[in-house]
Amino acid sequence: MRIVCPFCGERELGEFTYLGDAKPVRPEAGASEDEVFDYVYLRDNVAGETSEYWYHGGGCRTWLKVTRNTLTHEISSVEPAAGAGAAKVGA
Amino acid sequence: MAEFSWAPRSSLEKALVAGAHGTRGIEAGISLTEIRNFDLIQVMARRGQAAELAKVAKARFGVAAPNAPKAIQTSDATLIWSGPDQFFVLSKGGKHTMQTLATSLSGPASLSDQSHARVLISISDAKARAMLAKLSSIDLHPDAFAVGAAAATSMDHTSVTLWRGGDRDGLAVFNLLVFATFAESLWHMILDSAAEYGVDIGHSKEF
Ligand SMILES: [Zn+2]
Repeated sequence: MRIVCPFCGERELGEFTYLGDAKPVRPEAGASEDEVFDYVYLRDNVAGETSEYWYHGGGCRTWLKVTRNTLTHEISSVEPAAGAGAAKVGA
Repeated sequence: MAEFSWAPRSSLEKALVAGAHGTRGIEAGISLTEIRNFDLIQVMARRGQAAELAKVAKARFGVAAPNAPKAIQTSDATLIWSGPDQFFVLSKGGKHTMQTLATSLSGPASLSDQSHARVLISISDAKARAMLAKLSSIDLHPDAFAVGAAAATSMDHTSVTLWRGGDRDGLAVFNLLVFATFAESLWHMILDSAAEYGVDIGHSKEF
């Protein structure tokens, strides 16, 4: 598998580290225990298209948001995660 | 109180043995030169300040700093892309140090002195590409990696900054910046990969 880093170009998997699901959003302060439990522990086991965070640690050290199909490993989009590369993302 | 003497010395001081290495009896196909005594400052734009940094950097260096994987030669420095909104300033002779750069750049950027945190290795001669192909997954064909091309990448699981300098005697020169603490490990890997081509090893204070 290869990932096309928006800053570096196409690179081998070994330059990247997988963090996990990019969908969960940190609950507001004062959220219920159930909401926090869901955010911290519960993940969907998707067979199909997922959104996930990858880190280009062996390259430009940027966090990326990758849309990947877990059935085919096909990657349909790679974009900088929010805050990465201040010039490219609304900082 | 004890007196300390902080004399800078290369991380490759023990590992680097100047002279011939590997296959003998053929003309050396690889030239490996460690460049010592350089000034290296990393410049990273503060959040939302990338445009302002680009402006002051252009005023400071006379040319635009790289905003894509490139190495740009100025009259007395090389500006090397190291990631989005950040680059290295490589020079020697104290022309571009923390002190001299802070005045113009520290408003929109964070500066970090990497002079003794990295090792700089220059790789050249006829078999340089063949040797690097064993270590790197970057396409170094002249059409894909021309003079001035740069990459933040990994070699042997070690993070490096690689760029192509000006040709020497019509042959490509590849420059490699590696974290000082990983330099000896990568150096041995480079020597093993280069041995079959015959290697000429040295160090220099000149780029
Ligand atoms: Zn990258």
